[in-house]
Amino acid sequence: MRLAAAPAAALLGATAATALLAERLAAVAVLATLLLVVCLRAPAQRRTPYLFGALSSGLGVFLLSPFLAAVGYHVLWSGPTVPVLGKLDVTEEELRIAALNGLRLTAVALAFTAYALLVDHDRLVAAAGFARRSALAVALATRLVPSLERDGAGLAEAVRGRGVPITGVRGRARLVPPLVAGSLERAASLAEAMEARGFGRAGHTRSPGAPLTRWDRLALVIAVVLVPLGALWL
Amino acid sequence: MALARVRRFTFTYPGAERPAVCDLSLELEQGEVIALLGPSGSGKSTLLRALAGLVPHFHGGRFEGLVEVGERDTRRARPADLAGRVATVFQDPEDQVVMGRVENEVAFGLENLGTAPEEIWPRTQASLAAVGAAHLASRRTAELSGGELQRVCLASALALGPELLLLDEPTSQLDPDAAEQFLARIRGSGAAVLLAEQRTGRALALADRVLFLEAGRLLLDATREGALSWLAEHRPGYLPPARAANGRAPATGEILCRAEAVEFAYRRGRPILGGVDLELRRGEVVVLEGPNGSGKTTLAKLAAGLLRPDTGRVVRRASAGYLSQDPGRYLVRERALDEVALAVGDRERARRALELVGLGPLADRHPRDLSSGERERLGFAAVAVAEPELLVLDEPTRGIDPERKEAIAQWLFAYAAGGRGALVATHDRSFPADRRITLTGA
Repeated sequence: MRLAAAPAAALLGATAATALLAERLAAVAVLATLLLVVCLRAPAQRRTPYLFGALSSGLGVFLLSPFLAAVGYHVLWSGPTVPVLGKLDVTEEELRIAALNGLRLTAVALAFTAYALLVDHDRLVAAAGFARRSALAVALATRLVPSLERDGAGLAEAVRGRGVPITGVRGRARLVPPLVAGSLERAASLAEAMEARGFGRAGHTRSPGAPLTRWDRLALVIAVVLVPLGALWL
Repeated sequence: MALARVRRFTFTYPGAERPAVCDLSLELEQGEVIALLGPSGSGKSTLLRALAGLVPHFHGGRFEGLVEVGERDTRRARPADLAGRVATVFQDPEDQVVMGRVENEVAFGLENLGTAPEEIWPRTQASLAAVGAAHLASRRTAELSGGELQRVCLASALALGPELLLLDEPTSQLDPDAAEQFLARIRGSGAAVLLAEQRTGRALALADRVLFLEAGRLLLDATREGALSWLAEHRPGYLPPARAANGRAPATGEILCRAEAVEFAYRRGRPILGGVDLELRRGEVVVLEGPNGSGKTTLAKLAAGLLRPDTGRVVRRASAGYLSQDPGRYLVRERALDEVALAVGDRERARRALELVGLGPLADRHPRDLSSGERERLGFAAVAVAEPELLVLDEPTRGIDPERKEAIAQWLFAYAAGGRGALVATHDRSFPADRRITLTGA
């Protein structure tokens, strides 16, 4: 089963919104798990950095926020007093809130991961049906991200291939200006190629999208129902 | 009635000291296939861009004379207005792909031209099938190899049903067999084709007519037979090369690099190399051959120490330098001299390396202001300046004219004769070597 772009994006957006609105830890955990399963359909090499970012940021929130919050009376651990932060203690309530916020952040990041890796952005912007130039700009920006990743890796490899080591943040930062210059060059070449293919000519048409399947319609219904469900009952 | 007419065409890019094309006149007829030959910087790309209307509309510059396509003066008709009648495939496919999925990419041009919506998908599928890329229709363009992208770009051009197809080194990333299939499909398109190529054998085999440009001037406009005679007399380096045989007697010097039972995969479950052995000795020039995806680049990177094998081992007893594919894209400094000095920190050595590749007078220029051929040579100088004992080159002849290619080969043999070694991964079957290793993939 493969959903059309618009229903898939609507479902992912609704799931992320529901995760933000829901108050029950178990409900948010279920949503995050479902999104993780969806993300695992993406190729391993591409999904790895996204999943690392999504899971590590959620874990970071869970681990750090109990020390920064001052909520609840059921103290599980009492630590020293630190200037500015105050007393470092961890309560049962703080742990619950940290877990909830960590899972919320993870769910939103996983929804974005699924959007970035699995949704057909071309069809999504085409489905918008208006402002073709703006929609195309979004599609191009999305497409240029992997090109930038490849150029960055190629640039680092070319420099290492000359026997010049790239070490530390400063070493990598030195590659940013040439990477940006290369991207600008690529953008100019792309603009030329687009003009040669008739972009900007009057009277353009649109390729017809595939009709919605029953799965697409079901996804749209779930997307509509899920948000109020999350806000009111979960 | 000619399909396109060029009359006394002279064009100078903004800020350039001399014209890129000078006093050029020719006519293109319906359905003919024309090979456009000439050294780097001779004006081939400028002529192609003029016929697409991109010169002068996209680039600016000083335009003299007349270029007409289907009786439309390209100074008045914008490139977008000529699109459809004219279609262009540029050298680097990565720089011309707009959409995220293959089928949307092919449909993009049809949408721009106002093709009836019900015709768009059938024409998209038909043109993908015509270039043998129907199986790629739903793939993401970001995940395709360079060779696959080149086929998608050709499908995008053919889908428009052009009368004139302009191709700027369209097979530069394809292995010889794939390139021959690619050009055979072009021949079958029925469009007039103007094909700029540096690998002249394929272009000459396909062409009805041959043009030779040098320093912006048209030196030859002849049938293939006439062109072969002219080339034999005046530019023998451009004649179709024979497949290079192995060179000298087997080297007996010390082993510089040895790979034993090397396996490597970029993605789990999709091995690129499966149990490959390689041995390279001092004094040797070894060529790695094989089709797209056979692992030439991967083995070259393993030999240079840029990758580590999953299993097996690579032992290197010398310093290694690696020249990547498309080195002109990966430039980091703001002066050509500083670019070359990056590896050694010695400007005098850098200056000598620049002179070696004929770029001495351009030492103070910004690398990105150089032509694509000059950039390739700059990338070569930037690696060679460190004089690594093992020099690993990945497609060093891509986009390089035959005479320059011969010079690179001679330089490499001299380099190896000095007690060093060179490993060259290439699709170019005519590149000379002491030994050739053919990879077939895991």
